[in-house]
Amino acid sequence: MIGLDNVKEDATGKLTVQDGALRFTAGKSESKVPIASIDDIFVGTETTQSGGKTGRNVKIAALAAPYYSGKLLTLFMRTKVDILTISYHDSGGGLHGAIFELPIGQAAPMRTQLNQAGAHSRPEGNSSE
Amino acid sequence: MSRPAVFVLMGLCLLAMPAIAPAQSAAKPKLSASAIQIAMVETSGVQIPAEFRFDVYERLVEHVRASGAFPKVYRAGDRAASGITDLVTLHTQVDAFKEGSQTKRELTSVAGSTQVAVTASVTGRDGQTLVAQKIIGRVRYFGDNLGVSSDVAKRITKLLGETF
Repeated sequence: MIGLDNVKEDATGKLTVQDGALRFTAGKSESKVPIASIDDIFVGTETTQSGGKTGRNVKIAALAAPYYSGKLLTLFMRTKVDILTISYHDSGGGLHGAIFELPIGQAAPMRTQLNQAGAHSRPEGNSSE
Repeated sequence: MSRPAVFVLMGLCLLAMPAIAPAQSAAKPKLSASAIQIAMVETSGVQIPAEFRFDVYERLVEHVRASGAFPKVYRAGDRAASGITDLVTLHTQVDAFKEGSQTKRELTSVAGSTQVAVTASVTGRDGQTLVAQKIIGRVRYFGDNLGVSSDVAKRITKLLGETF
């Protein structure tokens, strides 16, 4: 996750639509984006490192393994994720972009949920321009 | 040449160096502005996923703020920027984008790089272009494809730091 106030970059948390806002909760930190301030929603996919920070450390160790054996191991440490990008504006009109990494197949239902709650988005909502 | 004479010559050279340095920097005077507004990344038909455009934009806001090159940094659309007389605007235009593969990068170390080529330009209130430069951001070895956004934002911030 990047692009939200009050929440650290790359934080892991829970994304919900509640009380007219998109809420992201990571431990004690919470950030809210009012649905009315959402200008557009995009859904995409990306292949990334599985296992979070631990996975990253394991991968670095694996890459250092002899005779390229570790490089093959990293093949099993890949995972496909959905990317949900929310374009919204703050009370002063400033443009923001919040990018969330979600388990595969969860971004489109989240977009539908946001649209039903009144968020603006282009009909197709695909990620590429 | 005697040893004292060599030391005198070296001393004179050292004294002359600070005089040369300002002369070089004076050749390219820095511009000044009290505030910058970061415009949204434009694509003009180049196929680039939305997350890359927004990631570059967010990283630019973050890096330019952290650089301290401008007392105020405004986001696109921020109404507070409208009253600032010496406001400059940073425009980022994507010229080309090649999405690579993290798996290929890690397996081969030579293939699968992600690249984004942009033209970064800064305009003044009157619309005049103050600086423009082509910049290429890359992720070559480690990291997700989105890491290219951070690379391009760092390079643009460096350009701003050299200009302002």
